[in-house]
Amino acid sequence: MNKTINQKAWYFVIPVFVLVAFNAAIPLMTVVNYSFQETFGNNVFAWEGTRWFKQILLSDRFHAALGRQFAFTFIILLIQIPLGIAIALTMPKKGWGVPVCLILMSMPLLIPWNVVGAMWNIFALPDIGFLGHTLNSVGFDYNFTQQPGDAWFTTILMDVWHWTSLVVLLSYAGLNSIQPAYYQAAEIDGASRWATFRYIELPKMKKVLTLAILLRFMDSFMIYTEPFVLTGGGPGNTTAFLSIDLVKMALGQFDLGPAAAMSLIYFFIVLLVCWVFYNLMMKNEAQS
Amino acid sequence: MFTKLYAATWGEVGKAKEKGFFDFDLFSWMAWTWQTAAFFIFIVLCITAMLIWEKKVPGGSPRKGILGLDTTRGDRLFISLLGSAFIHLFWLALIGSILWVATIICIGYAIVVFRYV
Repeated sequence: MNKTINQKAWYFVIPVFVLVAFNAAIPLMTVVNYSFQETFGNNVFAWEGTRWFKQILLSDRFHAALGRQFAFTFIILLIQIPLGIAIALTMPKKGWGVPVCLILMSMPLLIPWNVVGAMWNIFALPDIGFLGHTLNSVGFDYNFTQQPGDAWFTTILMDVWHWTSLVVLLSYAGLNSIQPAYYQAAEIDGASRWATFRYIELPKMKKVLTLAILLRFMDSFMIYTEPFVLTGGGPGNTTAFLSIDLVKMALGQFDLGPAAAMSLIYFFIVLLVCWVFYNLMMKNEAQS
Repeated sequence: MFTKLYAATWGEVGKAKEKGFFDFDLFSWMAWTWQTAAFFIFIVLCITAMLIWEKKVPGGSPRKGILGLDTTRGDRLFISLLGSAFIHLFWLALIGSILWVATIICIGYAIVVFRYV
């Protein structure tokens, strides 16, 4: 039987193509153009070659922001992934507890990001905030607006509060998809709780955990709103993560050229990490 | 439409310039230069070449390369381009000048990627 070849369906892709062109391709091309030029506004541009790239790559400011960004992402992954798995393991598998837990877990995910930042800002204020006041009254010298360590602590705590649920929900879905037969087999073999986790639950959760790590990596690597509202990058520059530093450079100082170069470098790092995780996910897919 | 545009090199900054043929108001904010335009034309040509290649030899010639990854032609192009970006960036950071050497390294890198990865 001969199949008729009809490629007309491609026309349906045109709207998406136009949309992507306007919200991604054209702005990205403009960023590339800006990154090689100097401007003082008013559409006056002067060619600078690779100067901005060199400047950014060698600047202490960029190194510091990149270092802070990786440190932040690493710390929150280190906390959120194990914590999320632990919570998912303790959540009930049936009964009225399931919807209650799921709804409670989803709540932080539903709150707009700037509201999360504002909430935690007020919550952590040393004089009137519940967290700040309590910490100070039990003897800790806590002030996130002035002490870098406290600012980091608060930012990380906020992110853990906001996003651990995502890891929990994904892990919970992964756990629920395990057939009871695996657990029965483990029980017959007399496997310990740890062995069951290590050799049954963890391998079965591999796919969703890779996804969870990818999502959490990307979101935390591009984090802007919450630390911007909470600390504004301060005190000093101690919580100015990459995107905050980028916006300071682009809009605060109106250094469009260096900011464009920096966003391209940022973009390449994000692209590389995405590619690595995509391949890991495809590998998991191929194995199962 | 007939407002004057301004110059694109340091020597001409501040001097009014006659509106050229390609100075559409729609595009002038994008600050095109021939170098960046050439770069994007190169990317478009790469994709076009991939399309033609796919027409000639369909299937994308999938294989498991030396990295242990299942790659097709498109993956190899992506790895070549992203890798080239990083090679150029590292070259700029570590050496800084004679950037065309990095470009030659990238071409070699792309050949290796298309051959073995």
